[in-house]
Amino acid sequence: MQAIKNSSLDINTKVKRGEIVFKVLMHILMIIIALILVFPYFYMVMKSLMTQEEVISSTFKLFPSVPQFSNYTQILQDSGYLAAFGHTMLVIVFNLIAVPLSATFVAFGFARCKFIGKNIIFAFMLSTLMLPSVVTQVPLYVLYSKIGWLNTLYPLTIPNITGGGAIYIFLARSFLQSIPKDIDDAAKIDGAGSLRRYFFIGLPLCKPILIYIMINVFTSNWGDYYGPLVWRLDDSFPATLAYKVFYLLQNGATGNDMVHIRMAAGVIMSLVPAVLFFIFQKQLIEGVAMDGLKG
Amino acid sequence: MYSTVSSEAEDKKVTESAAKKPSPRSGKIKQIWKENREGWMFVAPLVIGLAIFTLYPMVQSLIWSFFNYTGAIYYYPVGLGNFRYMFATDPVFWKVLGNTVFYAFVSVPIVLVSSYLLATLVNLPYKSVGAFRVIYYLPCVIPGVVSGLLWKDMFAANGVFNQFLGLFGLHSQFFESESSWTAISSIFLMNMWSIGGGMILWLSAFKAIPVQLYEAAKIDGAGKIQRFLNVTIPMSFPMIFFNVVTMLIGTLQYNGTLTYAYNGQGYRNSLYMFAVLIYNEAFVNSKYGYASALSWFLLIFIGILTAVLFFARSKIYRED
Repeated sequence: MQAIKNSSLDINTKVKRGEIVFKVLMHILMIIIALILVFPYFYMVMKSLMTQEEVISSTFKLFPSVPQFSNYTQILQDSGYLAAFGHTMLVIVFNLIAVPLSATFVAFGFARCKFIGKNIIFAFMLSTLMLPSVVTQVPLYVLYSKIGWLNTLYPLTIPNITGGGAIYIFLARSFLQSIPKDIDDAAKIDGAGSLRRYFFIGLPLCKPILIYIMINVFTSNWGDYYGPLVWRLDDSFPATLAYKVFYLLQNGATGNDMVHIRMAAGVIMSLVPAVLFFIFQKQLIEGVAMDGLKG
Repeated sequence: MYSTVSSEAEDKKVTESAAKKPSPRSGKIKQIWKENREGWMFVAPLVIGLAIFTLYPMVQSLIWSFFNYTGAIYYYPVGLGNFRYMFATDPVFWKVLGNTVFYAFVSVPIVLVSSYLLATLVNLPYKSVGAFRVIYYLPCVIPGVVSGLLWKDMFAANGVFNQFLGLFGLHSQFFESESSWTAISSIFLMNMWSIGGGMILWLSAFKAIPVQLYEAAKIDGAGKIQRFLNVTIPMSFPMIFFNVVTMLIGTLQYNGTLTYAYNGQGYRNSLYMFAVLIYNEAFVNSKYGYASALSWFLLIFIGILTAVLFFARSKIYRED
């Protein structure tokens, strides 16, 4: 009896020890991957604190000999960067209001109203997800040039009052459909018109999806360099921050716009979405999952 | 004021009575208007937007693809001339198409497999995995232009990667290479930084699979690999399929090379991608007609690819 008990105890401790070893190994693996993935940020921060000589020298250096925090103050005082930041914020503030409002507005119609053409419009809207955007680019450029929209921020903002993209409308519609119609029907009986029902019932209910849409609108507009690149005509274009960084990257600029300064701009540019991500990580990750599950 | 209130019950009654009594035509139109007014009001922005910003430009670019339009007042139809030039004369077209197809068809499987492995790692039943998930997803929120800036520098001659390779007496030009193999493979390496996005998708796929299925398979004596092949893959197939399709469509339109490749094209066009070619023809060379033809080629290419994938899906996977 005693012998059997002992051996079974042995097996138990062996299994446990195996589990612990496995757990430790997996944690070491996860930490190594995390270090690899975090390294580029670290590299960027280090570069942003170097002097110009250190950045362009052919010998490799990971740490700056003396951290140059003045690189950051240079950006904050540079009127070019400040103006670019202003343009980016104009675009973002407009879209932060326009996209969630128009997307949920349209989605409310799809989720709560019956009308002729609903299925066709919905199917066509979804098919635009598969449509390469380059197909519409050239005619839109010509159209914008005719109505004087080139070299302005209109192409980056005005089209967004029409729903801001199929994916947002689709997500908001699915979300609204998952909510019982009871409150809506009650309001209907009380005599609330559809517009009132949208503003006072539909919109507040959409709050979780609104947050997801807004963060995405923020990050996509914050990092968008291609839109400004297409809709610009000449250098008098009101450059956004992402476009300015892109432009300097492509044109190998000098002086205030050398690598170390650009790296500092890059740090500032990635800091903002990173902070947003840390605050709203739950909504974002759930939203990405929703995005992916639509198939 | 004209009341916008009309409950569904009321609507139904009205429709029924309208169906019974043969009403004059104008009454019928009024009826249709009354029943659909609300829905139409809500989707009006979308319909207007789709018409102006999608439908009109699509048709217009299809028309221009048969013209030698350059933005000048006068332009002439050239029949299939743009397409003939594309396939027979354009010195970079096949190179660019090859680059793009190679990039798309290799990067999608790489991302799928590596993000699957990462997802299984952070799907282990430990408390700490939540924090690791956040760290792994973080690079996905970094703006593309910043990661272009950063990776161009890390891949440079005096950058960290060559420093590392130098330990083994090696050296690579990465993005500055004249060979598409080396240059595009460097993009794969760069994309490893943002596999957190794929990880999240896999994690949500795992979440949707009932645990009982795994337990049943375990009792039946299925090993880890068998469980992956016979439970995980079939159960997450619809979602993975959808993501493969959208990822392929996305990568075929990839223009991120603009931020880090020399001239947006790489040395000797080693990083020249299709979307960048269209951009150059349209906005650098002002060849709107030819750019339209190129973009319609891409549209049809993507359309055929999607159709083939959906056909293959119907052969492999049958929804019960």
